[in-house]
Amino acid sequence: MGFLDNLINGISLGSIYAVIALGYTLVYGIAKMLNFAHGDVIMVGGYLIFTCATTWGLNPYLSLVIAMAGCTVLGILIEKIAYKPLRQATSLSVLITAIGVSYFLQNIALLIFGANPVTFTSIVNLPKISLFDGQIIIKSETTAAIVVSVLIVVGLSLFVGKTKSGRAMLAVSEDKDAAQLMGVNVNRTISLTFAIGSGLAAVAGGLLCSAYPVLSNTTGAMPGIKAFVAAVFGGIGSIPGAMIGGILIGVIEILGRAYISPQLADAIVFAVLIIVLMVKPTGILGKKISEKV
Amino acid sequence: MALLEVKNLGITFGGLHAVDGFSMSIEKGELYGLIGPNGAGKTTCFNLLTGVYKPTMGTIYLDGENITGKSTIDINKAGIARTFQNIRLFSNLSVIDNVKAGLTNNYRYSTATGVFRLPKFFKTEKLMNEKAHELLKVFGLDEESSTMAANLPYGKQRKLEIARALATDPKLLLLDEPAAGMNPNETAELMNTIRFVRDEFDMTVLLIEHDMSLVSGICERLSVLNFGQLLCQGKTSDVLSDPEVITAYLGE
Amino acid sequence: MKGQIDLKRKISPATRGSFITYGMVTAAFIVTQILVSTGRVSNMFQGLLVPFCVYSIAAVSLNLTVGILGELSLGQAGFMCVGAYTGAIFSLMTKDAITSAWVRFPLALLIGGLAAAIFGVLIGIPVLRLRGDYLAIVTLAFGEIIKNVFAALYIGTDSRGVHVSLTSQGDLGLEPDGKMIINGALGISGAPKDSTFVIGFVVLLLTLIVMYNFINSRTGRAVMSIRDNRIAAESIGLNITKYKLITFGLTAFLGGVAGSLFSHNLAVLQASKFDYNLSILILVFVVLGGIGSMRGSVIAAVVLTLLPEVLRSINNYRMLIYSVVLIVMMIFTSNATIRGFFAANFAKLKGVIIKNKPDTAKEGV
Repeated sequence: MGFLDNLINGISLGSIYAVIALGYTLVYGIAKMLNFAHGDVIMVGGYLIFTCATTWGLNPYLSLVIAMAGCTVLGILIEKIAYKPLRQATSLSVLITAIGVSYFLQNIALLIFGANPVTFTSIVNLPKISLFDGQIIIKSETTAAIVVSVLIVVGLSLFVGKTKSGRAMLAVSEDKDAAQLMGVNVNRTISLTFAIGSGLAAVAGGLLCSAYPVLSNTTGAMPGIKAFVAAVFGGIGSIPGAMIGGILIGVIEILGRAYISPQLADAIVFAVLIIVLMVKPTGILGKKISEKV
Repeated sequence: MALLEVKNLGITFGGLHAVDGFSMSIEKGELYGLIGPNGAGKTTCFNLLTGVYKPTMGTIYLDGENITGKSTIDINKAGIARTFQNIRLFSNLSVIDNVKAGLTNNYRYSTATGVFRLPKFFKTEKLMNEKAHELLKVFGLDEESSTMAANLPYGKQRKLEIARALATDPKLLLLDEPAAGMNPNETAELMNTIRFVRDEFDMTVLLIEHDMSLVSGICERLSVLNFGQLLCQGKTSDVLSDPEVITAYLGE
Repeated sequence: MKGQIDLKRKISPATRGSFITYGMVTAAFIVTQILVSTGRVSNMFQGLLVPFCVYSIAAVSLNLTVGILGELSLGQAGFMCVGAYTGAIFSLMTKDAITSAWVRFPLALLIGGLAAAIFGVLIGIPVLRLRGDYLAIVTLAFGEIIKNVFAALYIGTDSRGVHVSLTSQGDLGLEPDGKMIINGALGISGAPKDSTFVIGFVVLLLTLIVMYNFINSRTGRAVMSIRDNRIAAESIGLNITKYKLITFGLTAFLGGVAGSLFSHNLAVLQASKFDYNLSILILVFVVLGGIGSMRGSVIAAVVLTLLPEVLRSINNYRMLIYSVVLIVMMIFTSNATIRGFFAANFAKLKGVIIKNKPDTAKEGV
């Protein structure tokens, strides 16, 4: 039954990647930028939850809400301070700035929380699921990751499709200038996108640290990059694509770790990225973006 | 045979026929105008001719060669060079380097020759400099050859774009609103330059323009586009007095 | 007087700039050599001389991709890693066959560079035809793959030949007299320490010459045209992918050379040295030295390598400061409003200085 265990773990990890990938996909779709710092917002979320729940002893769910609020504010601040002045700049400048922000968050966290990783206490408090007479036990963190990510994908799809703000996001992602002319507040929409993405990053931070309870200042970096791979795999800009890509990457990683080599699991995930870009650069559900002449 | 032979050209964007069944033929050495109200599909037409968009129907022949559906790069190599409605210079390069960039495909030496400064490098660069200065002189940009392109005044930027396009040694030159933003004096000067280019370089020119003084001043024949379709075609004076054209321009 | 003016006209500003850089680097080299030979230099500083060259070469070559091509590569450490390992393996295997370091080491540098260039071209082919930010993420991924693969790689030789494993040393099944070449995460030890400051300087100077000659050639112009306006570059028939690939390949090649130079300066070579942080550090050199300025890259690489050694106290804050530097530099150089503000005030300042020194303004006429 080892394979089934691995598969379930892969889907669980993939669900967390999916939540992170949503943040990348939203920001990439709307602000047309690769927000390198997104992974580090996850780390900040993790530390916020840790501080509230473990250090101050608050209720875990309340801690999560506080962390979501904190990350939302952080996301808006990052956008206003670092990215907004660069709206007209080349994508090279924006990328370098994003890397600067990512590094800034990692090193601030290093100064505040130190270099030693902390042990994160799981915030998930659900019963385990036992299948096949206890041959397969699904941990509550696993269930939570899958359920939460599905809820988020459905909720976000509804939000984008049905609400006024959501449709504004679609309009901005299609054509920023045209959306502006039609009366959409572009700045507000971009802020909203960063707010949603960062809020979700806090949720991802909670899920990630609950499942893998070691938290340090670089906790978010690698999952962040892998989630970006997932977003590209599923088709950047697509919400269901992020979910599909996330789960595929999670499963590939866990199966690679189990059956190929633990040291090479990351390398396998990145090799997937290179293969996807070679075969179908737009990903599974993505569409081609062309430049205006 | 005509230099450019366009037959039944068309493209649709998500159901919208941006250009629909457009045909025209341009003779070698002609100054040809493409006019029409805003949004009529003129620039789309240029983008089809230069391979920026792939046509969904029709054929394009340049000098007998079928160039339909080829890439922008191959179409330039086949002999079409263009300028852009919103100027696209290499803004951080000097004026002369903009022109020399245009000479890249016709004056060759390998990357290694350049890196190791072999004799062929110096010989070819000298020829490139001479050719580039010759082109810059035509447009009165010779004095500013080392200025950064972004620092040129607007009118001169438009001229530099033409010089760069000519550097690729095309058979057909496409000018997208060359007089946009120019005052009447500059426009008059530009008209002389375009005529000079045609005579001196034996060039065929197709241009999009809204400035009717330029169109009636230099174009020998015109095609009028309206809503992506050909409205009227023929000698400039005939076309401009056509009641349908006047209606299209003035509205009903 | 007339002769002077003619001379000035003949030498283009680009050529003059390149020779100033060569002169500066050479002067710094000579001064350092004099100081070293007269024993006025601390051991710490002497130990930094080869790293100065390594980081300068790495930064200058990355600047080719960032400044001249206008694309972001986050995999410079990966290319250095490839160069470091292949160069060190070559030296280890040929140590007995080629005894002269003067023959062996240049070959090791070349082989390190070529191996990195092959990787550069291989990942460049799928990625460089795409638009947008994919190069950054793919090079980052590449750097991680290389680091992980080398850390998991075991290679040994014995009388039966070369053995390779991705799991453990035991898996190789070496004979008792067998020799380990790469020992997984423990890396390579015993590669000859062939790197010297003199060789480092020569390689740096050659790198700079290659760089400037490349930029001021037909290919370099084409590359910068693509950077400035891709659509216009296509319209004049420039083969975008080809020129991008040449540039990126050259960056990888020189990154590999830097890596090989580096690995021959280390007692133990470990893949973990070539992590993401190293790529970012080199990017910081490029950005702080000025994107597109080769001279700036060298200065930034040397100063920022020396500074944390001299000012130990800033070490904890070093990366934090770098991150702020990246953000601030980008905002200041890319935002038209802010740039305009500084340009205006700078001009005023310049005016004041020139007014006060009327004589200097006339100099050089």
